[in-house]
Amino acid sequence: METLDIALPQMAVLYGIVLLPWLLLGLIGLGLSRAIGIGILRMSVQLALVGVYLKTLFALNNPWLNGLWVLVMLVVADWTILRRAGLKRRYFFAATFAAVTASVLFSTAYLLILVIRPPLYYDARYLVPLAGMILGNCLQGNVIGLERFYMALKKNENEYLTYLLLGATRWEAVRPYFREAVKAAINPTLAGMATLGLVSLPGMMTGQILGGGEPWLAVKYQIAIMLCIFASTTLASILNLKLSLNIAFNEFGMLKEDILKKG
Amino acid sequence: MSATFIRFDGVRVMVHGKPILTDFSFTLGAGERAVLRGKSGSGKSTVLKTLLGLYPLAGGRIYFEDKPLDPSTVQTIRRRAAYIGQEPILGAETVREALTLPFQFKAHRGNKPSERQLIDALQRLHLPPDILDRECRRVSGGEKQRIAIARALLLGKSLYLLDEVTSALDAESKQAVLDVFADPDLTVLSVTHDPDWAARCDVVLELEDGRLTRTLRDGNA
Repeated sequence: METLDIALPQMAVLYGIVLLPWLLLGLIGLGLSRAIGIGILRMSVQLALVGVYLKTLFALNNPWLNGLWVLVMLVVADWTILRRAGLKRRYFFAATFAAVTASVLFSTAYLLILVIRPPLYYDARYLVPLAGMILGNCLQGNVIGLERFYMALKKNENEYLTYLLLGATRWEAVRPYFREAVKAAINPTLAGMATLGLVSLPGMMTGQILGGGEPWLAVKYQIAIMLCIFASTTLASILNLKLSLNIAFNEFGMLKEDILKKG
Repeated sequence: MSATFIRFDGVRVMVHGKPILTDFSFTLGAGERAVLRGKSGSGKSTVLKTLLGLYPLAGGRIYFEDKPLDPSTVQTIRRRAAYIGQEPILGAETVREALTLPFQFKAHRGNKPSERQLIDALQRLHLPPDILDRECRRVSGGEKQRIAIARALLLGKSLYLLDEVTSALDAESKQAVLDVFADPDLTVLSVTHDPDWAARCDVVLELEDGRLTRTLRDGNA
């Protein structure tokens, strides 16, 4: 069974669906018209470029090129995590990169080598989309985890100092905020797992079904990806927060003033 | 004077590029009680916090029992010292949990106080035993200060850094606090505008714009 193509005129029709909400948002004066226009344009251009790139990647299926693509995704994710978490890249880039790379590569390799077992482990058709999905979710979790942790520490600095002065080690003093941050980081994934299939059909599963795959096969892939997302998000959040502790505090256990971006 | 316990030697502290303490030197012996006096913003509270390693030194040195304050010795000072401010953070749901909070930490695990010890510590500060099960958000500022002192006593702290600790207390509670710190085994470095408190101190340090302008020891310059 082949997936029906969407011809170019129909693609043009597709954009028509956003006209009404765009108009309504303009009428209620949200002032988002420009942002929506830019968002839609960026999404379209980015996906078109990815389409061109993936086509080439799949055709060549070169292990080095596939690896390079994963590396680029990891660097962009690292950059995005720190920007959105409000932390300065010059301090945290290496730690976040190490934590996310280790967790994502571990989960992807586990899935490919032990579970799916394609003839070529580096096969772009498997490696690129699976690593991309795992990384995308891991990114969200790490943004939430880092942001929550450092905002809570900044907000509760006196409480943290009280713990220190009551004899807590640095780790004992940050542990309440650390726990909350990890919880916040994995909550969206947990909530997603709990409602999957009941509230919505997940994107990957829908894609496979539309692509002509058997529903049962789509279900198995969806379970596989969800478990890997959960594993990598949890591991990366914990590792990332742990590694960041050695960077964020001075030798007296005080949070350094210049690690957070202003604003 | 007793053996030197704390020594500030030409200490300079900058916060956000602004000098808060300049060429600040004094010594305090074990068991002495000192009070820092000066206008608001003169750097009094900074002296207490700098001793705990909360502000980096831009110059000079601080010695605690003749050992310089550095990352390897700061834990010793923090273990021995209690800092109690105007609005202490109890860090727990109930007063009982607040009093036993530090005993969850590795440094104090195994020394958890008994119910009797908790009650004794509270009563020394004129706090009723039934306050133990009260929620911390329902205790007044003055009670919080006394609970924080009780917690420090349970930890066996020997150095007390007190920042306006009698400001929210009635006469009876203030007397209880004064009695606690009359103990010659405790060393006290305090910030206060309270004349009764200052009258009981052995050393008066007067500050102006981050500089020590006068030191009175037992009333003598």
